[in-house]
Amino acid sequence: MLTWGILGQLLWTGFAAATYYCLFAVAFSLVLKVNKIWNFAQAGVMVFAYYSLLVAFRHWGLPLVPALVFGLLVTLGVSLALERYAFMVFRDRNSSILTLFIFTIVFSEFSVYLMELVFGTEPQTLYPSLLWPVDLYAGIAISHWDLMAIAVTAVLMLLLYLFIHRTRYGRYLIAVADNENLAEIYGISRKRAYGVSISIAAVLITSGMYLFGTKAALFPSTPLQHLLIFAVIATILAGIGNIFRAGIAAVALSLIQAFSILVIASKWQALLAYILIFVVIIFFPRGFSLPRKLSGLVRPSGRSAAVALTDSAGD
Amino acid sequence: MEYLLTVMVLIGINVILATSFNLILGYGGLMSVAHPIFYAIGAYCSGLLAIHLQIPVPLSILIGAGIAMVLSFGVSLPSLRVSGDYLVIASIGFQLGILHVINNLEFTGAAGGLTNIPVLNEGPSRSLVFVLLIAVVAACAVMLVGWIVEGDYGRAITAMRNDEEAFSALGRNAMNIKIVLFAIGSGMAGLAGALYAHYFAYVTPEQFGIFTSAALLTMVVVGGAATTWGPLVGAVLLTTLPQAITFLGLPVSIMAPLQGVIYTTLVISFLFARPQGLTGGTRGGGGLEAWSASAAFRARRRAE
Repeated sequence: MLTWGILGQLLWTGFAAATYYCLFAVAFSLVLKVNKIWNFAQAGVMVFAYYSLLVAFRHWGLPLVPALVFGLLVTLGVSLALERYAFMVFRDRNSSILTLFIFTIVFSEFSVYLMELVFGTEPQTLYPSLLWPVDLYAGIAISHWDLMAIAVTAVLMLLLYLFIHRTRYGRYLIAVADNENLAEIYGISRKRAYGVSISIAAVLITSGMYLFGTKAALFPSTPLQHLLIFAVIATILAGIGNIFRAGIAAVALSLIQAFSILVIASKWQALLAYILIFVVIIFFPRGFSLPRKLSGLVRPSGRSAAVALTDSAGD
Repeated sequence: MEYLLTVMVLIGINVILATSFNLILGYGGLMSVAHPIFYAIGAYCSGLLAIHLQIPVPLSILIGAGIAMVLSFGVSLPSLRVSGDYLVIASIGFQLGILHVINNLEFTGAAGGLTNIPVLNEGPSRSLVFVLLIAVVAACAVMLVGWIVEGDYGRAITAMRNDEEAFSALGRNAMNIKIVLFAIGSGMAGLAGALYAHYFAYVTPEQFGIFTSAALLTMVVVGGAATTWGPLVGAVLLTTLPQAITFLGLPVSIMAPLQGVIYTTLVISFLFARPQGLTGGTRGGGGLEAWSASAAFRARRRAE
């Protein structure tokens, strides 16, 4: 029987599970906005992030902070190498969209196969046990993982918001996203902006993979076949270029998925995502529009770009 | 001998798949990666018809290909509304969605796969006869695509690919071309799937996933997209090369990912070193950069 307790539990579980989806969606959306690349290679970066964390935690037995730093360094290295030695090369060659698409998807597959070769095809977790202490509040089970995940995601989103809207480099990112040629005329380095955005994405990805790996086991193919698809749907739902809305869309999708268990058998839940991706692209290719008051996290990009260009001109 | 004949069957099937994929992707410029799902539809429909309705195998093969052709509307209709990256993502959604359905239905054998599919021919020289059949079908597929892209219709396809707006402004119907390309390409993929099912008598959903999309992309890219012989060269090369690894006697858990690593490394190398593929010429003469050679494409990229 459906009770308020069950509904509350589904809401909470969906919300907590949305944390890593939110991070992946924001990372994907940021690279799409600034670097202007549908970065399907993000799944490959996610694989590298996860397995570097796995080596640090399980093989070397490092404590939390050094392990996270190691994972972050590996992820940053892979991300920056992708930008410098792949995306930049294709941009300079004026390569077709298809070339970029094939490269990004094949890079992800390469990462999956490489990790299967090194670590095997079995799912692996970052800690030997995934059991977290659970507290009951008003009949709703809240695990310490839930609280940690929500706190980490909230802090990262706040920092990203402050970085983009309150720092000069953040404004440079928006300027490059709006018009890279005009930004360069004003002395903003396009290449540096690409590097910064993909580095921020690397931080979000590493954090997301840590959250995922402390809650569930990961197959090497999971990022490509599941996690990335979710990020892509959220990005499209939010409308291209709306970084924070992509995060909100990811939360909404996670909640839909959590509540869908009431009407759809669990084995059909993934189908919901595939139907959504198809329907959204065909009928809402520009995403859903929220009333202006509700989209307050997104500042009109033209104004930000103008501020950035003025800052830069003053340098 | 049987092993060699089986490899030759796989080569023939991959030639049909890569050639038909090239028609849609290379010549048509329609960025759909859902080609393996039509391969699956052909295989499953034909197999299920032969198993449950006892339809003669040759007829069920043709019906399987026909169903794949009809269901290609699932991808060709989105292509009328969206293109480029959006079409890629819509096609991924279509592919994974149908695959998820196949993976969870009892009568398709679910994740375990469809077994006991009646074979097309039996007897001591079964494989040899099948190789000859598949060679004829593969040759017909290559010639059909070559015939389509030559002449007036082929020029119309190229014009649509290079600049759809200008093509439509001249009063030509891009919609018809897209639907026809998807229908022919998907029908050929369905035929390949049905032939596969009635040779190996067993299919599983995991054979038709996103990794198969990448394998087909590899064949087209390495051979040379938008060239007649490129997909054939790519299919032959990329079907035989991984077989060499099987002789190393490695455990399956290592061999499968090792093959994957080799495949993907090869594609990445080609993307950087020779994007026009093995058979493509200079820019505009085939390969992935064929589209970017068009003036309209360059202008659009500059505007972006």
